[in-house]
Order: sequence, then structure tokens, then C-alpha cells
Amino acid sequence: MTVNTSLVNTVDLVLARKKIRREKRRLFFSTLGQNKAAVVGGIIILFYISLTFLAPILAPYDPYAINLQDKLQFPSWTHWMGTDDKGRDILSRILYGSRLSLGVGFSSVFFGAFFGIILGLVAGYYGKWVDTIISRSLDVMLAFPGILLALAIISALGPSLINVTIAVGVFSIPLFARIVRGSTMEIKQLEYIDAIRTLGANDFTIIFRHIFPNILSPIIVQGSLRLATAILSAAGLSFLGLGAQPPSPEWGAMLSSGRDFLFSAPYMAIFPGLMISVLVLGFNLFGDGLRDALDPRMKK
Amino acid sequence: MMNEIVLEVKNLKTHFISNKGTAKAVDGIDFVLRKGETLGIVGESGCGKSMTSLSILRLIPSPPGKFVDGEVLLNGKDLVKMSNEELRKIRGNQISMIFQEPMTSLNPVIPVGEQIAEALRLHQGLSRKQAWDKSVEMIRLVGIPSPEKRAKQEPFQLSGGMRQRIMIAMALACTPEVLIADEPTTALDVTIQAQILEIMKDLQRKIGMGIIFITHDLGVVAEMCDQVGVMYAGQIVEHRDAKDIFNNPLHPYTQGLIGSLPKLYEDQEELQIIEGTVPSPYDYPEGCRFAERCPFSTDICVQKEPSLIQYGDNAKVRCWKYTNEWQDSLAKEVLKS
Amino acid sequence: MFLFIIKRLLQIVPVILGVTLVVFLIMQMVPGDSAVILAGEGASKETVEQLRVDLGLNKPMHEQYISYISNVVQGDLGNSLKNNQPVLDEILIRLPITMELAFFSILITVVLGLIAGIISAVRPYSYSDIGVMVVALLGISLPSFWLGILLMYVFSIKLQWLPVAGWDSTAHIILPAITLGAGGAAIVARMTRSSMLEVVGQDYIRTAKAKGLAEHVIIYKHALRNALIPVITVVGLQFGSLLGGTVLVESVFAINGLGRMIVDAIRTRDIPMVQGGVLVASLVFVFVNLLVDTMYRVFNKRIDLN
Repeated sequence: MTVNTSLVNTVDLVLARKKIRREKRRLFFSTLGQNKAAVVGGIIILFYISLTFLAPILAPYDPYAINLQDKLQFPSWTHWMGTDDKGRDILSRILYGSRLSLGVGFSSVFFGAFFGIILGLVAGYYGKWVDTIISRSLDVMLAFPGILLALAIISALGPSLINVTIAVGVFSIPLFARIVRGSTMEIKQLEYIDAIRTLGANDFTIIFRHIFPNILSPIIVQGSLRLATAILSAAGLSFLGLGAQPPSPEWGAMLSSGRDFLFSAPYMAIFPGLMISVLVLGFNLFGDGLRDALDPRMKK
Repeated sequence: MMNEIVLEVKNLKTHFISNKGTAKAVDGIDFVLRKGETLGIVGESGCGKSMTSLSILRLIPSPPGKFVDGEVLLNGKDLVKMSNEELRKIRGNQISMIFQEPMTSLNPVIPVGEQIAEALRLHQGLSRKQAWDKSVEMIRLVGIPSPEKRAKQEPFQLSGGMRQRIMIAMALACTPEVLIADEPTTALDVTIQAQILEIMKDLQRKIGMGIIFITHDLGVVAEMCDQVGVMYAGQIVEHRDAKDIFNNPLHPYTQGLIGSLPKLYEDQEELQIIEGTVPSPYDYPEGCRFAERCPFSTDICVQKEPSLIQYGDNAKVRCWKYTNEWQDSLAKEVLKS
Repeated sequence: MFLFIIKRLLQIVPVILGVTLVVFLIMQMVPGDSAVILAGEGASKETVEQLRVDLGLNKPMHEQYISYISNVVQGDLGNSLKNNQPVLDEILIRLPITMELAFFSILITVVLGLIAGIISAVRPYSYSDIGVMVVALLGISLPSFWLGILLMYVFSIKLQWLPVAGWDSTAHIILPAITLGAGGAAIVARMTRSSMLEVVGQDYIRTAKAKGLAEHVIIYKHALRNALIPVITVVGLQFGSLLGGTVLVESVFAINGLGRMIVDAIRTRDIPMVQGGVLVASLVFVFVNLLVDTMYRVFNKRIDLN
């Protein structure tokens, strides 16, 4: 009898928790929809994502086709963004480059989020010495200023776009882990987690079925803001010649080669930079909006 | 003795406008404060008593707060019509305020002596040195030992009781004509509370100012006040001499409040509690705002809003029960049933 | 206070050890035989073996790490693979340049950020506020290397007001410092604004108003002092990304600082140089954080009443 009641109570608790989650999600989407900045940011992001798919259709020229006769042409009706020092159409290169910049951004954040979430969940859930070891290691990673940790990693792995992705991703790990750790420790103390445990759920089930879904919102906010930084860092590393190598149409690399022609062809540097800036702006707007929608304390 | 009137508030209305609608926090307040007199304003939290006090010096944050109507006359001059510049010369000078939260009402990064002295420099044109000396003197006056040392300290180095004394010293530094004290002792423990009240009364005798004492504590009213205004749902429902209100409360709400006090020498079966809840300031009923909770409610109470009527020589009450209309209404109801 | 600093100093010891470990591991992560890489291209087998024994590369990893640490403590960061000169000597030439750049950048971050944040907070939701916040949002979105190129194009190439690149005169400092400081200024402005708006709603601001103080006294004397406390932490954190940012900005403006040294070293695979540069930059950051933490504590003691 007692077993039965406790089971019923636990089921109730779990269901109630799910209901709260659903209700929160509904509220979240309605607030997000009302947030103009978030909507604008979302539209920008969707625009860029659609570019990655539509590049082959939209691009008027082959992004790699060298045509030295038409080199360094000022933007015109035939070449909307002009041509570069090898006569390649800058617009076409930028369109194809969207795949690289977004790809590096998303994969590095995904990489960082994956390991960061696992470390954060483990540290937050188990606490004690496990937490101490993980937290201290994260402190060490955060002791490296800015993109220097990424630089250190690239120096070992060698310059390439994939290594940039890994390096920027590694730098994201502690940021995700810290947030997840804090939220996990909060959720862990809830009564209903205890109830589930008394029913014999193992740690794995508790962590991934019951804790993880409840801490998604801070992860998503961090993810969006982190994407902005990741895209900036990756483009910066390519700009330094440590990422994408010529003739790749990665925007940072394009900007870097455009720098040498700043006197004669400033548009070579202007357009790739503009593309990066607007994309980063989109993620910043979206991330700010997400945070406001998810964090009621910040709301007006 | 009839002292001269120093502050008169007429039909004061302050509303709050948000996307939830309009909250009529202060909805037609009238009172008169005489020199050397203490007027208590009592009511439950949320009845608008703090908003009334903030409205007098136009300290309501706007938006969402909005001054709607009324006059606030200080020696006959209307504060409502003054420019911000003129009003600033009155704030902290002729009218001062003490707030409820001594913990958060002092600036945490400025020495308390300076927080007192800046008002003195501003309003009395004292030099830096003179203002500081006066500030130390004020701290001594409110009974804080070694004032020279304390004046240089920041709020975090002082206890709650000391901070409230500093607030009093600050409010009284420019010898105001009116002191508005908004629950000045609520956050303090009982012994400190008694000391603070004693200091206030003592300084009132010295300076001769009028005090508006805002509180939810009827015990403090009995100790401090000459006059009492009882507030309910943004309005004053009863205005009395303090000594009368405990013996013979008129308004059913006041009766309820006093009935809910534990009495020391009477053998009470149980404390009376006023049943029901306060109506929302966003949506007051058409008739009397207390009607829903009132044991004497009749048809007229629900249909028409009562006004604050004179009762006897020195009492006012906002209740139909003391009118002929109510008698008629009651008679009709009896006949019907 | 003294005790606090001692405690914090002890706390950063493991962090510094961790940083050295990561920097040490860079060498281990390099694919291939470290001795071959260190010996340089075209070295004979004997030279490689000699180097392996000299540098202790034949010993187990933990022993190598211990000897690395003891070398670092003695100021020996190894020799450059390029010219066999001590890494530390090169760093000591480069570091002052980077620190100078960082100093002027942080100055721009703080001054520009505070002014913009205050302008915003004084009249929230006004046109000036919205304008400042839009610029701030752009400031955190523009890549510094692009901003640097744009500034260089406008002020050096088109208007010819300022030199294009290099690090010889005060005029050379202006554009790089703005480029590097702009992003931080945007973040400081946003933080100052939200912090000011929070402070303005506090009880003690109401007290100051009730005292009859004028608005500018309330803003600059009563509100700003309190609002600045959380901003200190943000400035401290900004110093980290600023140090990282020197890598990019020094490359854009051809400044021979520590950041550019690291990038060049990566290109030429001069691993000891990279290790030394990253280590020194990180140590600088760790100590700046300690300083900021201490400052924050001094100011925050008064706020944290209960």
C-alpha cells in the first residue's frame, strides 16, 4: 500500500514537472515572438542558413574559377561585389563561403556543448571530488586569455579549418560546463529527483531523462551567444592564416587576402567583413532575445 | 489649543498605469496636519498608505505612477503645481522623510556623516566644515555614542537601529516643518523600536514639527499619534482623535482592525478576524469598497460609494451606516424578507 | 584584506600549474617526434639523438614536465628553433609593446564604455539611449580585424590623418587601441547601463531624492559609485579577451608585439616560442584577474551587507 502511494505520488510529480516544462516552453515562445530583437536576429540567421543551401543556385560564377583578365574589378552589374586579385567573383565566393563560416561556427559550438554538457552534468550531479577535479580543470582552461588557448591547440595540431573548429570548440567547453554544472546542482535538490531515485532509477536515467531536459534553456542561450563568438574567433584564426587556406572562400581568409589590396580594391576586404558582422549581429540579437525570454528577472 | 495648519492634502489621487490596467493606489485622500501634531495613517499593506506619503513629495516613479488629481498645500502653497526646481528646495528642507528600510535606504558607499551633511550644505548654505560639525551634532542628538567616529563610517559598519537613527538625523537636520515617517520602526526589534519612537517624540517637542506617521501597527498609533486616519483600498475610511478610535471605532473596518488586536485584561475566546479579501486596485467595486467584507452591508452599500461624512464634532467616517439612507435601505431589506 | 590576497595567491598556484601543464602538453600533442621537430629540418640522426638526450626527451613524461617547470621557474623558457636565441629574451622585447597597446585599449574600453553607458542610463528608452545601445550592439558584433581594416582604410589611406601601421609614435597607437578597445567598450557600456538602471531603482536613491538633491548629484554621486562595482568585474574579464585580441590587432597593424610573435611562431612551427608566448600572456591574465578580484572585494564589502 505504501509502495503504491509513493509510486502514484512520484508519477504525479514527474507529470507535474513535465507539465510545468511544457507551460514554460509555450510562454517562452510567445515572449520570444514579441521580442523584436530576437525576431530580427532569427530572420538574419535563417537568411544565412538559406544561403548555405542556395549557394549553388544563387552564385553567378564558379567561386574558384581564376580569370586573371577580369582581376580586381570594382563592383558592377556583372560582378555585384567585384572580383578579387585572381579575377574570381567575390559574390560567388561569399555565397559558398557561408557554408564554411556557419559550418565551423555550428560544429565548434556543438563540439564544445557536447563535452561541456557532459562534464557539467557529471560535476553538478556527483559533486565532491569529481566536481573539484572537473571545476579546477575548467578554471585552468578559463585562465587562458581570449583565443590564446585556441592558438595553442592549433600550434600543436597545425593550421587547418578542422583544427580551428576543434580549437574553438575546446575553448567553448568550460563555458557550457560551468552553466550546466550550476543548473544541475539546483535541479538535483528538487524533491522529485529524490522520488525518482527511491523508485530505483539509475544515475544515467536521472541525469539524462530528468535533469537534462530541465536545464536546456540556459544551454540554448549560451549556445546562441557562443555561436557569435565562435564565428568571430574562427574567422579571426583564418584571417591569421591559421585556419582555412587559400583558395578557400572562407570569409576570414578572404578578408585577409583583401587586406593586401586595400589601396586598390577595398571591397575585397569590406564584403567578407560585412557578412561576418551581420551574421554575428544576428546571433547576438537572437541570444539577447532568448535570454530575456527565458530569464523572467530580466524582463521589463 | 488649535495650532495652525502646516500641511493640507485635498483629494489626492495617484494611479499606476501598466498593461494590466490602471491601479488606483491612492484614490482621493484628504487630511490636515497641524504644527506639532502627529497624524497616524494606518492600514494593511497594499492599502496605499506608503504611496500617499511618496505622492506628497512627488517621489512616485513615473511611469508607471501618475499623479491624477488633488492638491498638496504646504503653508498654503501647492506642491503639485511647483517646478521640480522649487520642489527640490522643499524636499529634505521643509518636508523630510524617513523610510521603512534602514538597511537599504542609506547609500552604501558614502560615509553617513556626509549623507547628512550634503542636505545641510544644499538647504542651509553651510560650508563643508560647518555642515560636517552640524552633522556630527545631529548624530549625537539621535543618541549614537561617539558620533565623530560614526560619522566617518559607511552604513555597513552600523547596526540596523543605528542606521535608522542616522535616517532620523538626516531627516531632521534641516529642522523641517513636516516629517513623513513611513513605517520607521517596522524593520527593527521591539526595544530599539521604543527608543526610536522616544527620540522622535523628543525631537518633535524641540522642533515643533508636524509628523505624518505611517504604520500598520495600532499599538504604535496609540503611543505616538494625536489624530488617526484609517486607510482602506486607497481611501481614508475613518478620521479620528487617536484617543477615541480605540474606545469607539466607527467604521466597520476599523472595528474589525481593533477587534483583531489581542487585549491584555479581557478574557477573549478568540480574536476577531475580518473575513474576505481586499478588492483589487485595478477593479474596485461600484459601491463601498469594504461592502463585500462588511457585516452591516445593505443594498445601498453595494450600489453607491459612500463619501467621507462628518460625524459629531471631530470625527469623519466613510460609511453608509451613519446615514438615513442606510436606515431606509435596511428597512426595505427587512420588509422584503 | 592581506589575508584575502594571500589566500587568493595560494588559490592561483594550482591554476598556474594547470596552465603550465597545458602549455607543456602542446609539445606532446604535436604529431611526430618532438626531437626531430626541435632539431629542425635536415638535421642528421646523431644531432637528433644528441638533442633527445640533452633535452631529456627520452625520459618519462612526468619527469619531463617537472624539469619543464623547474626551467620555467628559473626563467628558462627554452630556445627559439629559428635562431636558437632564448625565448625569454624575445618575449621581454615584445611584451612591453603588447602591454602598452593593452593599456591604451583598456583605457578606451573603460572611458568610452562608461560615458556611453551613463548617457544611455540617464534617459532610458530615449533616442540617445537607443542610439548608444545600437552602436554598442554593433561594437560587439564587428570582428576587430575588420574594424581595424576599415579604420585603417578611412583614416590612414583615404584621409591620411594617421600612419597605416607600425609602432613608432603616439599616432601609431590611436587606431590599434580603438580597434582593440571598441568591443570591450560596447560590453562595458551595456553593463554600465543595466547596472545604473538597477541602482536607480534602489531605496537609497529615493532617499537622495527626498533630500532634495539635484538630478546630476544623484546620478554622479549617489548612483554611479554603486553602479560601477559590477562593472569592475566586467572590465577584468574584458582584459582577457583584449589580450587575446592583441593577436589579431597586432597582425592587422603590423605591430611587433607578443601576439604577433605567437602567430609568426605558429606559422614557422617554432613550438618553444609559442609555448613561451602563451604562458606569459596567460600569467599576465591570471594576475590581472587577481587584481580585479581584490578591487571588487574592497568595493563590494560595503554592498554585501547581510
